[in-house]
Amino acid sequence: MTGDAVAGAAFTAASWWPFAAVALPLVGVAVGAIGEHAPGRWKGVTLLALGAATFAVTLAVVPGVLAGRTYEVFVLRMTTQLWLTLRIDAVGAAYAATVAGLGLLALVYSFGYLPRGPRRARYFAILMACLACTLGVAYAGNLLTFLIFYEAFSVLTYALVVHEQTPAALAAGVKYIAYILVGGSLVLAGVLLSFFLAGDLTFAAGGMLPADAPTGQLLAAFWCFVAGFGVKAALVPLHGWVPDAHPAAPAPFSAVLSGVMVAAGAFGILRVVFDVFGVALVRELGAAPWLAGVAALTVLFGAVMALSQDDLKRRLAYSTISQMGYLTLAIALLGAGATAGALVHLVHHAFMKGTLFFCAGLWIHGTGHRRLSQLRGVGARMPLTTAAFTLAAFGMIGMPPLSGFVSKWWLGVGMLEVDAPLALVVLLAGALLAAAYLLPVVYLAYFAPPLPTPLAGAGVATAASGPAPATAWGAGGRRAEAAASMLVPTLVAAALTLVLGLGSLLPGFPLELARAATRAWFGGG
Amino acid sequence: MEVVDARVILAPTVSFLCAALVFATGRSVFWRRFWTFLAATIKMGLVLSMLPGTLRGVVYTYQFVEFTPGIGIGFRADAYGMFFSLVSSTLWVLTTIYAIGYMQGDKDRVRFFGFFALCVSTTVGVSFAENLLTFFLFYETLTICTYPLVVHAETPEALRAGRIYLTYTLIGGGFALVGAIMTLNVAGTLTLAHPGILSGDAGFGTLLVIFLCLIIGFGVKAGIMPLHGWLPIAMVAPTPVSALLHAVAVVKVGAFGVTRVIYNVFGVELLQQLGFATPLAWLAAFTILAGSTIALTQDHLKRRLAYSTISQLSYIVLGAALLTPLAATAAIIHVANQAFAKITMFFVVGAITKTTGKKYVSELDGIGARMPWSMAAFTIAALSFVGVPLFAGFITKWYLALGALQADAWWFVLVMIVSSLLNAGYWFPIIHRAYFRTAQEPWPPPPPGRRLETHKTLLIPILICAAYVLLLGVTAEVPGMPFSVAQVAVERAFGLPGVTP
Repeated sequence: MTGDAVAGAAFTAASWWPFAAVALPLVGVAVGAIGEHAPGRWKGVTLLALGAATFAVTLAVVPGVLAGRTYEVFVLRMTTQLWLTLRIDAVGAAYAATVAGLGLLALVYSFGYLPRGPRRARYFAILMACLACTLGVAYAGNLLTFLIFYEAFSVLTYALVVHEQTPAALAAGVKYIAYILVGGSLVLAGVLLSFFLAGDLTFAAGGMLPADAPTGQLLAAFWCFVAGFGVKAALVPLHGWVPDAHPAAPAPFSAVLSGVMVAAGAFGILRVVFDVFGVALVRELGAAPWLAGVAALTVLFGAVMALSQDDLKRRLAYSTISQMGYLTLAIALLGAGATAGALVHLVHHAFMKGTLFFCAGLWIHGTGHRRLSQLRGVGARMPLTTAAFTLAAFGMIGMPPLSGFVSKWWLGVGMLEVDAPLALVVLLAGALLAAAYLLPVVYLAYFAPPLPTPLAGAGVATAASGPAPATAWGAGGRRAEAAASMLVPTLVAAALTLVLGLGSLLPGFPLELARAATRAWFGGG
Repeated sequence: MEVVDARVILAPTVSFLCAALVFATGRSVFWRRFWTFLAATIKMGLVLSMLPGTLRGVVYTYQFVEFTPGIGIGFRADAYGMFFSLVSSTLWVLTTIYAIGYMQGDKDRVRFFGFFALCVSTTVGVSFAENLLTFFLFYETLTICTYPLVVHAETPEALRAGRIYLTYTLIGGGFALVGAIMTLNVAGTLTLAHPGILSGDAGFGTLLVIFLCLIIGFGVKAGIMPLHGWLPIAMVAPTPVSALLHAVAVVKVGAFGVTRVIYNVFGVELLQQLGFATPLAWLAAFTILAGSTIALTQDHLKRRLAYSTISQLSYIVLGAALLTPLAATAAIIHVANQAFAKITMFFVVGAITKTTGKKYVSELDGIGARMPWSMAAFTIAALSFVGVPLFAGFITKWYLALGALQADAWWFVLVMIVSSLLNAGYWFPIIHRAYFRTAQEPWPPPPPGRRLETHKTLLIPILICAAYVLLLGVTAEVPGMPFSVAQVAVERAFGLPGVTP
């Protein structure tokens, strides 16, 4: 579709939806940026309303997408070759709803988590901007739009990673930005090559690159894309930024990072494989087995590294690396069932990992400790939080009827469909390892006796780095759950782990969207 | 379609008149500012008035005097010349406002603004030059007129910088003169009106010497390594001078000269036959990377900007040397993109020095809180240089990379990517310091009674230029924006019908 055709397409009522999804959070940027001078109440309420409205928009388009309607809007033309469009299809709708939903929960959580201070305004402004840009990625209609929003939120994320401005956070930030800029350059190289080969940048289910293009150039484009997106998707060995950046960021944003930002990289690989190259071309190029190998390595590496981490957030970060590896593994198998499973896993993982990070944040907030060895017995003091953690942990391991089980089931079925027993072995190994690195946390929380002496000094997070502990961690059996603003999103996210699992076959749930997407890419059921 | 029109010669001469009036009546602050401003605005008005015609393909000419057939002083406003004069005249208005504010309380302002106005006229003269003689005449006059501005402070350091500047540029001028004389000898004419006046009949050796002389001659001002040495040293000049002359006028005139040689003296076809452009492309690539690498090591703000300029100018040379339409588009549009972004940065650096006295990167911790709007403008310019989409620099990067692919030279894409990363390497730390570090000692607040972070004559040009960097990136295609003029110029240079893809 040429730029003229897109530009000429009538702006219908349906065009408003993708536009609104991106624009609403952008309004939030302005609201959030109005500094501490403004009265706090109305600002919080407005941000909340905007977040809720955005989520509502992303949900509202789902029925239409499932019914086959197109929501498309032409945004801007820069030159004859470069224009921006937004378009909602099944996979975009699924990802966007996840982003908006988790974003809303993180937003509410942030109200309680962030201490009052001059950087608070900056945090909310940039958080809303990141949400807008991620939704732009989800709804991007062509490679350029994708690239623009992708680069934008990559750069903006930096500000939130270094938010607490501790030396560790700043160091993590430098590492992050270095990785991400190199990754972004590789993606740009892929985009340039794609345009050069195809003369166009618009996504087309089934691929838009000409099959008769020189193989060398096609492979170069493919690997540029994979490496570029692979940095964000934390494919080994490009994952180096994750273990530092996810723990360094404030807990609500760690949840967003692990839940949807890393998934953006996998989403990019998905778009490249199915909407730029197309299944047939990828199969012809013979690159898929290599990609599967890298992904399998990622799954196992991440899980093994998680076992040895004492810092809870670092353990969760490695878990993200491992879990996101499933997505790329499934994509590389080029099977409809596996891809559907991957999409479902993207959605489910976001809320499960979000819950885990929210709980980690609550524990840190409530006790001042981040290390597992110091979090023993916290289940007695913060039972609701720990229950939420437990539920999400079981979900990650894959216990029925939770959402993690559902996604792993469909992944497994899909892997068998394409005759990939090795992939299934990796899947099961990953699940076992997940049990190995998550269950000890649950055990420590409930069954280990708390540390004997109240630690007023050593190990307590200082005021400069992160939130001041809401309560003192000491001997005594008083319950000390966190404030509702933080507890409610955590419990909601945990509940979603159950709901998404129980209701997975119902219409409107991720599985249906995933099936609609794979139908478009693979043809047929 | 060529049309005789007096506006082509009016543009430079009116500013000459205004310059003379500045010298004559400049004792009075009012008249000095009046004539200076008038010179800039009349020039911009005249150039803008010719724009609609240029977009339709009209070329305005005016022959002033002809010594012998083919040699004379003549003016010709084709699309490329119009493009250049549009950029420089717009920026001149803004720099005039800035300079008036910046130089308040400084000495010798009559001399400063007088020569400032003279530089305006000579730059227009270069952009509208119909032949190499006219070009050379105004080119050298620009050199001479910029000297008093470079040595304005008259400190030993400034005088030394002026000497080095003159040495480089006059020697370069010598080479250009030799090249021009040889061209006249071979081609019988010096006109720049055709896509190439030389032909292969002249013999490989002769053509090579001509190419080298002309490229070296213009390459000095264009900062091609190893002829770039004068640029960082000339940063001793007052910031308005650095901003306009060494980010826009002088250096762009050099780049303009190099591209005129490629497109109008030799022509694309001849160069493709001879193969001279490939080593030039490699030299440009080297300059791009080396300039950025050296910039990484500079703590002095203006020196960092100077090396960045050296690097960015070679984008233009590389684009021209690739000899494809897409690369040419990039080369021409980068004249505008780099000019606006680099001037924004110079304006901000000057404002910082004026407001806080700081000149080094390491002193800028936390300045984002003290001067938020200026640093926001700086961030926009920096993102443009890194080539982030929606900013001007991305357009250049896109077309240059595609042009390289079109020329079957994909390794230059790699050069572009590495260059962007290097740019991030030396701009992002400045932004990081400004916003994410707290100041070592608190910044002095604005004087009582002033609400703005710095004087409005400094701030307004900063904001306008930064806004234009955004506009160039987002709305490049709007008719009347530089991009459309660049496309017309490219069609001319390549003899292409209709609109380039």
